[in-house]
Amino acid sequence: MPGRLSRRSIARYIANGLIEGTHSKKILLKQLAGYLVETRRTKELELIVRDIEFALVEKGMVQASVISAFDLTAETKKALVAFVKTKMSAAQVNVSHIIHPNVIGGVKITVPGRELDQTIARRLTVLKTRFKKA
Amino acid sequence: MSELSIAALSKELRDAIENLETDKQLDEVGVIIRVGDGVAWIHGLRSAGYSEVLNIETPKGIVEAFALNLLEDEIGAVLLGDDSEVKAGQTVRLKGTVLEVPVGTELLGRVVDPLGRALDGGPAITAKQTGLVEREAIGVMGRKSVFEPLMTGIMSIDAMFPIGRGQRELIIGDRQTGKTAIAIDTMINQAKQNTGVVNVYVAIGQKFSKVARLVERLKTEGVMDQTIIVATSPSDPASLLYLAPYAATAMGEFFRDNSQHALMIYDDLTKHAVAYRQMSLLLRRPPGREAYPGDVFYLHSRLLERSAKLSDDLGGGSLTALPIIETQAGDISAYIPTNVISITDGQIFLETDLFYQGIRPAISAGLSVSRVGGAAQTAAVKSVSSHLKLGLSQFRELASFAQFGSDLDEATKKQIDRGQRLTELLKQHQYQPAAIWEQVVSIAAVSGGYFDSVPSAQIKAAQSALLAKLGTDHKKEMAELDKGGKPDEVMNKLIETTATSVAKGFAG
Repeated sequence: MPGRLSRRSIARYIANGLIEGTHSKKILLKQLAGYLVETRRTKELELIVRDIEFALVEKGMVQASVISAFDLTAETKKALVAFVKTKMSAAQVNVSHIIHPNVIGGVKITVPGRELDQTIARRLTVLKTRFKKA
Repeated sequence: MSELSIAALSKELRDAIENLETDKQLDEVGVIIRVGDGVAWIHGLRSAGYSEVLNIETPKGIVEAFALNLLEDEIGAVLLGDDSEVKAGQTVRLKGTVLEVPVGTELLGRVVDPLGRALDGGPAITAKQTGLVEREAIGVMGRKSVFEPLMTGIMSIDAMFPIGRGQRELIIGDRQTGKTAIAIDTMINQAKQNTGVVNVYVAIGQKFSKVARLVERLKTEGVMDQTIIVATSPSDPASLLYLAPYAATAMGEFFRDNSQHALMIYDDLTKHAVAYRQMSLLLRRPPGREAYPGDVFYLHSRLLERSAKLSDDLGGGSLTALPIIETQAGDISAYIPTNVISITDGQIFLETDLFYQGIRPAISAGLSVSRVGGAAQTAAVKSVSSHLKLGLSQFRELASFAQFGSDLDEATKKQIDRGQRLTELLKQHQYQPAAIWEQVVSIAAVSGGYFDSVPSAQIKAAQSALLAKLGTDHKKEMAELDKGGKPDEVMNKLIETTATSVAKGFAG
């Protein structure tokens, strides 16, 4: 029976495999699925996916999402990609745009482990807390 | 609403909006993966430090937590607020600070929680300074030996187990044996003797009704103005109970570091250890003896090590600690009592049997000790109490032997008689701390043999008569004696003459 590996170690193995191409994506995922079933850790699947995202960031591949209340112009989208690329020192950035009216206004950029929240909804939350404390 | 308050509100709102502006940086964030029993497990936040404050964003505002378990894959954080709004999937940010509480003179006379929020219905605390809740203790070179007395006003303690400023003296005993009473009397004595010592009382998991009664009493005695109360109730989260003594120590350290003297009362550290055990078990830390975690000794040692007498270079301030520990059936060899006994500079052990025999304070002369206080004892009290502890311990031993037969030699009988008188003399009512001169005169009257003709039952009455006479007829001399200096021949003669004449009126 293999020893329990940390999620971080598993994620690094998969990320390395994906980037270096030592094995095909299909084989890597099959290996991971087999390991998780054998060690009864299938419940950790979502967290491992998150950790793979973290590991990919370390390798310069960033999966970002941008949330806004309204659709953004092509120019803004381009500027946001450039912003993420600079801030994360990333070689490759994939951005998914999500429209969510609950944020009221502004924009929220999420990358693995980091976030820039310039939405009205967050400002209101912070304001609410400050007045609750005062 | 008045115009003034609207203007103030408007300014506050503008300030708040201005403060909201941040430079456009990608903040490090984590996500809650599970939460329950006041503990949240967080994925991400890889640069979080131990004890760092985390902000959890809930729909009803931000809830604070602090990181206690830093594991490879996740962080275990203890929530400081209401956990009902905290749910899996919520975003967590680093606040960038460790826990801090307001400190300063603004807290005097107030009742606050461990985060410095007012609990007394008064205005919010607006202190100019903050202090770190977890702070490293002063090093060796920053300290000085304990040499100034911290009078409790309790004769048996000041005479037999003197406490010095900067000392850690444990008060230990079963429930309902008068542990808190000793601590309260010590606080009252600081106001009565005008010592200028600031009291910081920490109620750990105490009923708020008890805290309210204490506040009322301290107000009545005029002590509240120099007292800070940090209160937590049994219904508070374990995290607040855990933080209470550390936060209160930060408040006390402000006075210590500003060349003043403060007295910390931790009531009690047994409940503190239990709260920490609860947190540790919920954080899945391995349980050890009595299910306490392995670092329960460090929990109390790092707290009590912050009490110290500072060197002259650092201002010479002091922080004295009176931790309280509750034992079960007088068992001082249990885990937490032995830990705290070994950390402190002595202990005052209270016995249930003595308490129910009417000997109050029920201090055990044999099991109590003060390891460093001797150097700090007032010269006046020292001059009359050198053999008191030994005499009382021998008396209690002899008294138990004497129960088996009446054939005792004269010397033993005399020792038992003296011991009975001493025991009577050292009985003291609550909230009535004695001044230095009252202690010296009372002890001298019995240990000097001037009250040998007074029956034991009459000792307290004779003592009152003696104090009344000296207090009225020799006010000036007694004021001199109250300064604490060793009494000279004339003073000793005065005490002897007055005590002998008072004793005649009570002779059996």
